[in-house]
Amino acid sequence: MLFQWGMRRQKERMNDGVQQEGADHSGEAADVLEEPLSPELAVNIDIIRRATGESSDIVIRRFSLGQETQMKAAIVFVDGLVDEKNVYEFLLLPLLTASFPLPLEEKERIQWIEKKLAAVGGIEQVSDWKRLFFNLFSGATILLLDGAALAISASTKGGQYRSIEEPQTQIAIRGPREGFTESLRTNTALIRRRIKNPNLWLETMQIGTVTQTDVAIMYVKGIANDDIVTEVKKRLARIDIDGVLESGYIEQLIEDQTFTTFPTVYHTERPDVVAANLLEGRVAILVEGTPFVLVAPALFIQFFQVGEDYYARFDIATALRFLRVLIFFISLVAPAIYIAATTFHQEMIPTQLVIAIAAQRESVPFPAFVEALAMEVTFEVLREAGVRLPRAVGQAVSIVGALVIGQAAVEAGFVSSAMVIVVSVTAIASFATPSFAIAISARLIRFGLMFLAAILGFYGIMMGLLIMVIHLCSLRSFGVPYMSPLAPLIPSNTGDTLFRVPTWMFRERPRLINQKNIVRQSGGQKPQPPAPSRQEKGDES
Amino acid sequence: MKRPLAVFLPFAVCVCLLSGCWSKKELTDLAFVIAVGLDKTEDGKYLASFQVVNPGNVAGAVQRGGGAAGVPVSIYTSTGDSLVEASRKASEKVSRLLYYAHTNLVVVGEEVAREGMDGVFDALERNQQFRTTARLVIARGHSAKDTLSVLTPIDKISANKIIKTLEFSELAWGQTMNADVWWAIRSLASPGRNPVVTGVVIEGNPKEGKRQKNVQSSVPDARVTLKGLALFKHARLIGWADGPTARGIMWVLDRIHQTNLTIPWGGKREAIGYRIVRAKTNVEADVKNGQPSILVHIKAEGDISEARVPINLADTGVLFRLEKQFERGVKQEVAKAIETAQRERTDVFGFGEAVHRADPRLWKKIEKEWHDRYFPELDVTVTADLYIRRTGLRNRPYIEE
Repeated sequence: MLFQWGMRRQKERMNDGVQQEGADHSGEAADVLEEPLSPELAVNIDIIRRATGESSDIVIRRFSLGQETQMKAAIVFVDGLVDEKNVYEFLLLPLLTASFPLPLEEKERIQWIEKKLAAVGGIEQVSDWKRLFFNLFSGATILLLDGAALAISASTKGGQYRSIEEPQTQIAIRGPREGFTESLRTNTALIRRRIKNPNLWLETMQIGTVTQTDVAIMYVKGIANDDIVTEVKKRLARIDIDGVLESGYIEQLIEDQTFTTFPTVYHTERPDVVAANLLEGRVAILVEGTPFVLVAPALFIQFFQVGEDYYARFDIATALRFLRVLIFFISLVAPAIYIAATTFHQEMIPTQLVIAIAAQRESVPFPAFVEALAMEVTFEVLREAGVRLPRAVGQAVSIVGALVIGQAAVEAGFVSSAMVIVVSVTAIASFATPSFAIAISARLIRFGLMFLAAILGFYGIMMGLLIMVIHLCSLRSFGVPYMSPLAPLIPSNTGDTLFRVPTWMFRERPRLINQKNIVRQSGGQKPQPPAPSRQEKGDES
Repeated sequence: MKRPLAVFLPFAVCVCLLSGCWSKKELTDLAFVIAVGLDKTEDGKYLASFQVVNPGNVAGAVQRGGGAAGVPVSIYTSTGDSLVEASRKASEKVSRLLYYAHTNLVVVGEEVAREGMDGVFDALERNQQFRTTARLVIARGHSAKDTLSVLTPIDKISANKIIKTLEFSELAWGQTMNADVWWAIRSLASPGRNPVVTGVVIEGNPKEGKRQKNVQSSVPDARVTLKGLALFKHARLIGWADGPTARGIMWVLDRIHQTNLTIPWGGKREAIGYRIVRAKTNVEADVKNGQPSILVHIKAEGDISEARVPINLADTGVLFRLEKQFERGVKQEVAKAIETAQRERTDVFGFGEAVHRADPRLWKKIEKEWHDRYFPELDVTVTADLYIRRTGLRNRPYIEE
């Protein structure tokens, strides 16, 4: 059935004629589109209509240019992508009301029109269909003239976008409340507002043969490492994909290593975080249509840093850093340690505790590993359900989950309360990990470690962790060692790893990323109480 | 390049999978032996008792199904020519694997101790599960099995009860010693020291003590109590030291932390109480003309804890006299302890070790005959410096002259 249906579709396509013929994966429609624009307005309009399948959101308005000449013209725009007020007030109205001096050469006529439209901006002469359609779908309004084999495209971008809101994923108690939106332009503006410097360079390109998504890379010239900028551009240029719907597409196509659970590209919703990264010499990749901005190269320790580390004083920031690494560790190994300790190393648990755990396990019908696995899987199910379900239903799920995991299971004697505690601690730890990207890799590794713990005990856990560390050390992000500045050890950069030294001690940018322009600030900025003034001294003597 | 990898990989996998902790045991397959008791049977074999925790009945466990609460421990016994044999044989009776990593108490029956317990500890020390930090006590008057059978209130597991009593009694009173197996082994292995081990007695009726009823009464029918220090000569128990004599031994061993002394004053016996809060004992040997002598110096600080006669404690002169009096009291206790040990011809104080440190060459010569010839005639000088730091919350007692 399916096959037949497919065949029929194929035939239909063949018969569909001009537009569909020769369609490749990029979806470029027709041969006609390869040709230049026709000088006849009616033909051009017809081509636009047919190429877009007479889509209803494509607005074509014919009118006569000038009051005397009655020159035929038309404007084309996509409803919803343009600011209609702009189109009518600054584009259509001046053209309709203008008196058209006669006779004029075609060239001069175009120039005259361009002058008239100066209020709109982004004026461009377009002579091929490809460009025309790209501009059209980017929110431009196209002006077609009878007798001219070119069109004028004017930028009238507009339409509805989500406004700037507080980021959903990286919430800060102290720090800016702005988060990126889906609009690329808004996002670049948010960054520019933070770095007012001509050296903040922005390069835009289109990726996605069908979607033609705007992708911008941003870096601070002179701080960013040129090699890395070149490398980012090279990797972006290599991408040949039909569509980019989220920065995740880009991330997966430019990362150094696919077969790893660790993210080698950082992503964030916070403009202040991006600005900070740009100042450290990193490159930001912004994608139209998503609030998640990519930052490369990413280091392992970066996933434990949050903006607040730098806004808060260093002592509390350092304490929180340690806590976060501990949290990551707990979310990684807590169930594995429980399994290993209760099935292999009972001697390691204090007597009172082991008896208490044994008492709870008396009625549990499963081995510790199965118990732990069942509970972890149950929790993951609940968590996934909680994320996906509509908010109203989500609450019900969490109540049911709390009852199932917390009470009923223990009361029924299927699981021990110690196991519930372990699972809850693990879950809370994994929520407390600052970066979701690293938290989910811990989630995956956790199951591997549980399995190793079940067959090999602590030996297995150690083996698993060793493999993990070796793997981490082998990773690179855009050529920069993932574990730097810890491995390789760069002493002058370790002030921002486990410890967060006082701000006046942040003298250098990451050496491996920057290489050239590494001095961030001058020394001797340690704040001090004011020295006693001279007059006071004089009074004393 | 590919061939060596193909050969290497299976080995690598085998190394990972075949090594490591292969002895996987679920908690529900283990019988936690919390205490081991040792007695002799009539035909000269060992009778080993294992106090096994019954996790479901220990307080803290979630009570389910409304079943009547059972006893927290059960005792399994088995006989054998050696401890290991008895332990293995016990598997005929226990449904789970006996697990010794949490064995915290070893009770040696007095009979076994009198015959010599040198053969007992090797098995304990050699076993990788067993820890030599387990406490050691001697069952005094009753068998180790009976001692372990007595159910105890508060600390449901009777082994824990004995361990905690040992610990806190040494800290607060100082007439018993919190000795572990390692201490006994160390003392046995040293030619200049013999072990002392705390004794445990059953007060009341051991038969009633086995029943749940025992813990349902505010005054249990049977109670396990610490009593005295067992003096060993090498591995054999030869006598008991009780009361102040036992504390004298503890003084010399520098194991007094806190205790209470009372002295007569103004014609009344046990009139003034002195609570020691800090104490330190130094033992030094001196060898003159090939003749060793020992100097025991005790230094302690404490408070007046009780004054049952009229006395002016604000007067420093009185306090000095009190201090002297207390010093005399301590010295008496110590002298008594040394006298007892010398009479029994066993150096439980480690004086031999002090001599060894002072003059190793001399020690080599007298080592063999130390306990029997040299120690009983050893000249021991005891000095004490006791300080009264505080007189409590009041100076003058309310009793007026």
